[in-house]
Amino acid sequence: MTQDARVQDFVASFEGLRAEVEKVIVGHREIINHVLIGMFAGGHVLLEGVPGLGKTLLIKTLAEGLELSFSRIQFTPDLMPADIIGTNIIVEDADGRKHFQFQQGPIFAHIVLADEINRATPKTQSALLEGMQEAAVTVGGVSRPLPGPFFVLATQNPIEMEGTYPLPEAQLDRFLLKLRVRYPAIEELNTIIDRTTQARAVSVERVMSGARVLGFRELIREVPIADHVRALASTIIMATHPQWEHAPEAARRFIRYGASPRGAQALVLGAKVRALTEGRFNVSVEDLKALATPALRHRIILNFEGEAEGIDTDTLIGQIVDSAEAITAQGKEAFVR
Amino acid sequence: MPNSETLDRLVRRVVTQVRRRRVEHYALRGAFWASLVSVVLLAVKGPLGTWALPLAAGVLVAGALGGALWGALKRTSVADAARLADRAWGLQDRVATAVDWMGRSDRPPLVDALVADTLRRVERLEPRTAARRVIPRDGRFLPIPVAVAVALALAPAIPVPSGRLPDFSVGAEEEQQEPRAGSSMTDERSRPAARDRLKPPSFEERDFATRTGGTGAATSGDLSAVFKDTALSAQRPDFQSFLKKGDERLKLLEQADRLPDLQSDFTASQYKMMFRKSKALSGGLRPDQVSPQKLKELLEEMERLGRKGGANWQGDASEGMEALEGGQPDRALEAMQRALDKMRAQDEGARSGKNLKGGRESSRGAAAGRDRRGGEGGGPEDQDFGEGEGMMPGRGRSNSPKGEATQRLRGNPYDVGVEGESRRGRKDGYDTNMTGRGGQMASRLHYLGVVGQYRKMMEDAIARESIPRDFHSQIKDYFQALDER
Repeated sequence: MTQDARVQDFVASFEGLRAEVEKVIVGHREIINHVLIGMFAGGHVLLEGVPGLGKTLLIKTLAEGLELSFSRIQFTPDLMPADIIGTNIIVEDADGRKHFQFQQGPIFAHIVLADEINRATPKTQSALLEGMQEAAVTVGGVSRPLPGPFFVLATQNPIEMEGTYPLPEAQLDRFLLKLRVRYPAIEELNTIIDRTTQARAVSVERVMSGARVLGFRELIREVPIADHVRALASTIIMATHPQWEHAPEAARRFIRYGASPRGAQALVLGAKVRALTEGRFNVSVEDLKALATPALRHRIILNFEGEAEGIDTDTLIGQIVDSAEAITAQGKEAFVR
Repeated sequence: MPNSETLDRLVRRVVTQVRRRRVEHYALRGAFWASLVSVVLLAVKGPLGTWALPLAAGVLVAGALGGALWGALKRTSVADAARLADRAWGLQDRVATAVDWMGRSDRPPLVDALVADTLRRVERLEPRTAARRVIPRDGRFLPIPVAVAVALALAPAIPVPSGRLPDFSVGAEEEQQEPRAGSSMTDERSRPAARDRLKPPSFEERDFATRTGGTGAATSGDLSAVFKDTALSAQRPDFQSFLKKGDERLKLLEQADRLPDLQSDFTASQYKMMFRKSKALSGGLRPDQVSPQKLKELLEEMERLGRKGGANWQGDASEGMEALEGGQPDRALEAMQRALDKMRAQDEGARSGKNLKGGRESSRGAAAGRDRRGGEGGGPEDQDFGEGEGMMPGRGRSNSPKGEATQRLRGNPYDVGVEGESRRGRKDGYDTNMTGRGGQMASRLHYLGVVGQYRKMMEDAIARESIPRDFHSQIKDYFQALDER
């Protein structure tokens, strides 16, 4: 298969999977795109939104469209790490001898839905850390690999703060993208009403296997990126750090901690997937701009002034991207000066 | 790898366009600055004559050509040109990425597809200019100096000052001077001034001895004419006589030894200085808590002062140092205290000898003097701790019907050392060293003074801090209880 054909295959598969999800989910085209981008980039996605917007349904539908195992974990305050990872239990064999046997937890699945992840204690949230980063869990001193592709989709509710435990920065950083699910428009709401209150069953077909997902992940990493585009990605990351000498005024004023190098990886990987979904063989500046907000909004920690002023992280990232573009373009595009 | 000739051709085309734009840009800038020089040249075309116009035109052309040459010689990188092409034709960084990755040996297979895709798109491009024209800011103002230069070229030459000074010679002045009936004063004012301006004054001509008369006619070179008819000019400056007659201020300066010795004021006396240092060292601390190093330094300084002035506390200071070296800080402190007492006695003696008023000490000394005149009492110490005499109402010789204010304390709140058993009942002193090694020391704090200070701090705190009003009375009751102890 030629490279061109591989790319066209990816584009077709991507659009096919999106079409299956859109059979159930009305609207939210950008959210669906970003969820798929996160999955093909090999990362995990955190969805934030008020209840009833279809976050869980989106993930369940996506799992139905893939020939992959799926498990859902409803996070509650009394959930323990062993409830996620699994534990060693005593079993008795045919000879009557007892021994420990590892009982796998729900994390041993291709797609894991961590529903309302901020309702569990930090201890339990941390149980996902190793799995999300290393695609393996360690129980009783034995490291057990998770099935590939491994993809965690977590949801959280931003308005109910009572009885919740905000995710620590280390946990947040492991999510490739953080998506904010907005309220649907009125036309979309009408469609939702029609689709969900009538006696019409919607069946989602399985259009992609795990092996194809892994193959596409390899293809994505081959997408070339030009020096100036990579420099822009690095500049965007650096511009989120208030200590950086060229950081924009807004970053200096409102940000306590900027994005980590993992943020740069997320930005470029997401941009590569986006480039391929458009049938393009290279990463462009527009790809970076489109992915900057979902890739960085959970990696920027506002300072007290930023919190007090109610600064919107998305707006701040927009200013940072503009500033970074001006920095990298300085002396490069003004050829006649 | 697809043939990249098309891409190279595109990039070369963009580079050529950029170079052309640069030539325009820098030629405009050069022409602007050269036009400013041309304006200056045309402004002074009088002295330059017929050369002014060709010179100005030459400068203008040279500036434009120089700028154009500078722009043509500036390098344009291939990557920059590729980015410009991407931007101009909306190729979404395809050309730049392809140019960037084509030459790499570690390029992934997808790069070939990228190059092929880019070539397909480039071949379909319609030819147009990628590099837009950018007119420099100074180039926009070029018409102004050019218009000024043209106007100056057409206008007659501007008269230029010759640089020579006006002719102020006598002959010329006489020609210009109007014949008028001048008084002697106008003659005197005008003539010498005009002459003197032209004639440089020399030192030899300053004959001050001739400035005696007020009415004499001024002669040539006589500077005393300036002072003529004035009161000052009639007086002969005689500094010797001024000194002989004497000025009261100079007399005072000659008798400087009779002036008050401000340097030896009480606030700067050795005793006061050492007293402050000793209190800073031992204030509120037991002898074993005092820093031996600082105590040693203080004793050394006291010894040095005693050696310098031949005073009698040198021995006490030495004794204190020996005690300190022997590990007896309490004895060292006692020796320091003795030395301080002697310093104070000497200091007060010296001050009373000078008959200076020195605040509390002087009044105390005066009171002691009164007592001595009355045949009762002794030195200042007796005055402070005298019994039944002095300032107590109805018992002394006070002029006040109520008696003078009782001196409960010495002026310095630190300088308290009451020895012996304290009386029963309400006390104004509280023994802080009842047990331990310091129990032997007769060091006491003023109970009422301390409580009073704390009470004042309490009232300030109540006024300043946000303490619930219900607690105010409780706090005050607590301090009241302390006061009644």
